[in-house]
Amino acid sequence: MHITYEALEHKPGLGQTLKEWIFTIDHKRIGILYLIGSMAAFAVAGLMALLIRIELSSVGPTITSNPGTYNVWLYFHGAAMILAFQIPALTGFLANYLVPLMIGAKDMAFPRLNALSLWLYWMGIIVALLTFVIPDSPDIMWTGYPPYSLKTGGNTAFYVFTVHLMGFSSIVGGINLITTILYMRAPGLTWNKLNIFVWSTLGAFILQMIFIPVLAAAVTTLLFDKYLGTHFYDPSAGGDVLLYQNLFWFYSHPAVYVILLPTIGIIFDIVATFARNRVFNYKMVVYGGIGGVVLMSGEVWIHHLFTSGMPDWIRIGMMISTLLISIPVGLLMIGLLGTLYRGAIQYTTPMLYAVGFIFLFLIGGLTGIPNAMTAIDLYIHDTHFVVAHFHYVMAVASTFAIFGSIYYLFPKMSGKMYSETLGKIGFFILFAGVNITFFTMFIIGFKGMPRRYYDYQQFAHLEGLQRIATIGAFIIGLGALVVLISWIHGLVAGKKAPDNPWGSKSIEWMTSTPPPPGNFSQIPVLSGEWHPYGYGRKE
Amino acid sequence: MNGHTSEHQLHWETSPWPLVLSIGILFLLPFAFSFYFVYSKPVMAVLSLGIGVPLTVLAIAGWISEGVGQKDEPGFSIAAMPLFIVAEAFIFVAFFVAYWVMRLGAPFWPPAGTPEISTGVPIIMTIILVSSSFTIHFGEVKMERGDKGGFLTWLVVTIILGTLFLVLSMTEYSHLFAEGFNFKTNSYSTAFFSITSFHASHVLVGIGMFICILIPALMGKMSKSFVKAASMYWHFVDIIWFFVVTQVYFWWAL
Amino acid sequence: MSKRYLRVLSISLLFFPITTPLLAYEKRRGPEEVPDVPGGWDHLFNEMLIDITIVGIIFAAITIYLLIKYRQRYPGQEGSPLKLTTAAAIGWALIPAFVFMADDFYLAAEGWTLFNDYRRVPENAYEVKVEGSMWSWHFIYPEGVETFNELRVPAGTPVVVRMTSKDVIHSFFLPDFRVKEDMMPGRVTYLWFYPKDPGEHLITCAEYCGLMHSGMKGKIMAMPKDDFNNWIETEKKNSHT
Ligand code: HEA
Ligand code: HEA
Ligand code: CUA
Ligand SMILES: [Cu+2]
Repeated sequence: MHITYEALEHKPGLGQTLKEWIFTIDHKRIGILYLIGSMAAFAVAGLMALLIRIELSSVGPTITSNPGTYNVWLYFHGAAMILAFQIPALTGFLANYLVPLMIGAKDMAFPRLNALSLWLYWMGIIVALLTFVIPDSPDIMWTGYPPYSLKTGGNTAFYVFTVHLMGFSSIVGGINLITTILYMRAPGLTWNKLNIFVWSTLGAFILQMIFIPVLAAAVTTLLFDKYLGTHFYDPSAGGDVLLYQNLFWFYSHPAVYVILLPTIGIIFDIVATFARNRVFNYKMVVYGGIGGVVLMSGEVWIHHLFTSGMPDWIRIGMMISTLLISIPVGLLMIGLLGTLYRGAIQYTTPMLYAVGFIFLFLIGGLTGIPNAMTAIDLYIHDTHFVVAHFHYVMAVASTFAIFGSIYYLFPKMSGKMYSETLGKIGFFILFAGVNITFFTMFIIGFKGMPRRYYDYQQFAHLEGLQRIATIGAFIIGLGALVVLISWIHGLVAGKKAPDNPWGSKSIEWMTSTPPPPGNFSQIPVLSGEWHPYGYGRKE
Repeated sequence: MNGHTSEHQLHWETSPWPLVLSIGILFLLPFAFSFYFVYSKPVMAVLSLGIGVPLTVLAIAGWISEGVGQKDEPGFSIAAMPLFIVAEAFIFVAFFVAYWVMRLGAPFWPPAGTPEISTGVPIIMTIILVSSSFTIHFGEVKMERGDKGGFLTWLVVTIILGTLFLVLSMTEYSHLFAEGFNFKTNSYSTAFFSITSFHASHVLVGIGMFICILIPALMGKMSKSFVKAASMYWHFVDIIWFFVVTQVYFWWAL
Repeated sequence: MSKRYLRVLSISLLFFPITTPLLAYEKRRGPEEVPDVPGGWDHLFNEMLIDITIVGIIFAAITIYLLIKYRQRYPGQEGSPLKLTTAAAIGWALIPAFVFMADDFYLAAEGWTLFNDYRRVPENAYEVKVEGSMWSWHFIYPEGVETFNELRVPAGTPVVVRMTSKDVIHSFFLPDFRVKEDMMPGRVTYLWFYPKDPGEHLITCAEYCGLMHSGMKGKIMAMPKDDFNNWIETEKKNSHT
């Protein structure tokens, strides 16, 4: 059943609108549905984080006297934040919404597969949320290490199926996106004129296609072991407990770069737009930075297993390879700073988030270095130091990039402008909150407190620091609330947005706001002069 | 890209089938499995299957009738299939890694409790699968020449060969089960059944793809790109089988 | 002239990554000396902290400078980027890459040295077996004595623990000695530590192992040698009767 364009002008009825949303195969709407799912996941998992923080605010039981409850919260927090919030927000929402627009395509290569990818993701959310319904909630943390995940009374199957559904969704999405980028670029859009974000998404999906299957196999073997009685992880029958950790991190380390790449890609686009400047040393950023990360990400996974009893030589080897990852990432940072150089920086809300990203990512990335040094990691592994490291890079820096990009795309998606005042207030509250919470965690970890502790009698002297972290978490919650309010305010009361409020040169802003079905009333014609970052140049 | 806009692009296109399919998959796999194996509620499991199977079949049918043979179909399937194959290949890589870790860590191989694994059956299965790779190739050639009847014949032959392969696989399994060799026996059985059943499931998917080509083709709709993609997948399944046979069946030869 | 200078600079940069690790080289110890691992850890951590702080401050300072210097002065102002020559573009990629690599190799060499101390068990170390289980530690002494959650060792002797687990993975974490290592079923792992003086030290589990993970703790009691020998003797008698 097709409706015509005129019918659209005449405001379709509610039923029709609903149908056009849930049965949609349009990449922009699919992107927005991804966004809704990931924000819901962020809210629920964030509330779990608050519960975790309250529980840790005092020694001994605080709001629950059952450690099992805490473990379920933490399981859900970690798994949902990574699988249901961050990866889908970046490779689902952002990539879906932006890539076809940025390359001047009318849609993805396979619009129906795109919808399948979306709905598989939502089914994954449903299975994840069932954690709170079933009597035997999973409590195996987001890493699901056997033999604990096999011995526990918790429902390991739901963990496995969440991973399966999300993973299958990503693979379908990856096939779609890579094909789209390879074959559907607008005429005249050569490889050296692609937005950095498109490049970084391509890199991220190459990683997804190669590594997700390994994770899928790893969790499938868990399922077989626990419910069909095989012996992959049963040492008494010839299995090997370390096998799982290797398979798991073989995916899950690259997964952090699946998060990092689109994050830094969109930051490049935001910074270039608001510094009104070209991207510094474009080829270095693309081939050295993004290419380097893609190439190196697959050979460092042992740094999560420094204390797991792997042979010594491999711990040393992967210490070196891990340290070397700072080279491509450092090149990306230089590209970012170079883009500021001789720019004309406008401090809008998205730009503030991008600036925040630079500082927060520096802290997070540089504290990856001690983790990477095997000898130092023997002490700080599985302490809150590591927790602080990955919250800085992932939970904070990447989330800032996601929030920033939502502000950046807000006019394009909704056709309305958000309020800069509310946006900036939200930013500063968040910035304060995350530093209070997570910097304190570095100290807590440095003093030796292990992670995944419900109670810390052994470390009772850290209670004061834990309190500070808890207060910080509530400030983050407040900030998130302001952010949410600013979006709702923008949707309800925002001024009408022009087609290109940021004066960007990139293709996604050439179409009307919000973009019509099919994106462009005319396929953009790109002159030889044109460049997405062609600022400060006469055309 | 085909340059200009047409009336066709200017409305929100919809399709219910992706949503229906994912709901189908939700019931088919997570729910049915969990009811049966986790909560030991076979009735609920059957009920889940009862919802999941029809939804899945319906969705696939709907999808095909909507998607295959559209005039402006860009023919990207053939470009996308290699990507899917890369992903699939890595699942097998992971399983083989698991197999070798267990095997190299074992004091002797095969571990106690392993019966004689027949050598005849896998050879016959190999012959069947290899010839099916040829038959689908012949079909493709016919299709290129525009000989639809010839194509359909070879397609049906391929489907029959694939099914035969699965039947043989099942008989092999039931023999082994009868000898007390199953998922639970030891580390060799763990690898054996995981890898072979996983491979068999790929054969099943391949056959499914062929059926999804056959039925619309009988009704006059065909997508050449999809046929080529499906046949590429089938060759991949065939290649994987060589690894399975040499490492899992004829383990002693290595 | 300046080209020559550039060439010299780039050649010396090439050697940078190779030479810096040499800075980390330290005098070898005699075989009897027990290396001070926790002290080495503290030292290395400080060094690393200074290193990353310097890197961080350089980057942060440049960022702040650029953010202030290049803010937009009037509406509609555009950036005025310089065009990079090919040589400059390559230089901006290679030179930082080499500097970063030099720093990485330096840190790696330092870390490697200390890691060797961690893994090389001193000769004549006192060997204890540990078996973890949900949620306690079971120690078996060479004399046949067994204890739970309390590891008594003679002060002034390095101790090596050979670890395994009955059920799930645990991790034997000694915060005071800056060391941990996982213990798992089906494998034996080890770590060693050196209690110089009598005193008590915490043992705590650092790998998630279920409900009482955070309660899985014990202590090391380093006793004067004579006390320890007496204790072992009495325990041995007790266990025989
Ligand atoms: C987005 C996510 C993300 C990103 C980008 C990173 C980036 C890095 N991570 Fe992190 N990491 C995680 C997410 C991430 N990590 C998560 C989730 C975990 C824990 C999972 C769990 O156990 O649950 C983890 C855990 C983790 C560990 C395991 C710790 C342990 O369990 O004991 C290690 C160890 O090596 C590590 C190292 C690194 C390094 C070296 C980088 C590097 O890529 C950082 C590179 C960046 C910089 C170095 C800064 C910028 C560069 C310069 C300014 C150039 C100059 C710098 C130098 C020369 C030093 N990480
Ligand atoms: C992207 C990932 C991500 C994000 C964003 C966060 C966010 C937060 N995390 Fe998370 N965390 C992880 C990933 C993440 N975490 C992972 C992977 C683990 C390891 C799990 C494991 O060990 O297995 C972990 C573990 C972890 C621990 C360790 C617990 C332990 O080991 O015992 C702690 C402790 O404080 C913590 C705290 C927090 C806090 C306070 C936030 C805060 O930033 C959260 C703030 C958010 C809110 C308070 C939500 C408020 C929402 C609203 C008010 C509605 C507004 C809605 C919108 C804006 C849409 N986390
Ligand atoms: Cu034992 Cu945690
Ligand atoms: Cu990692």
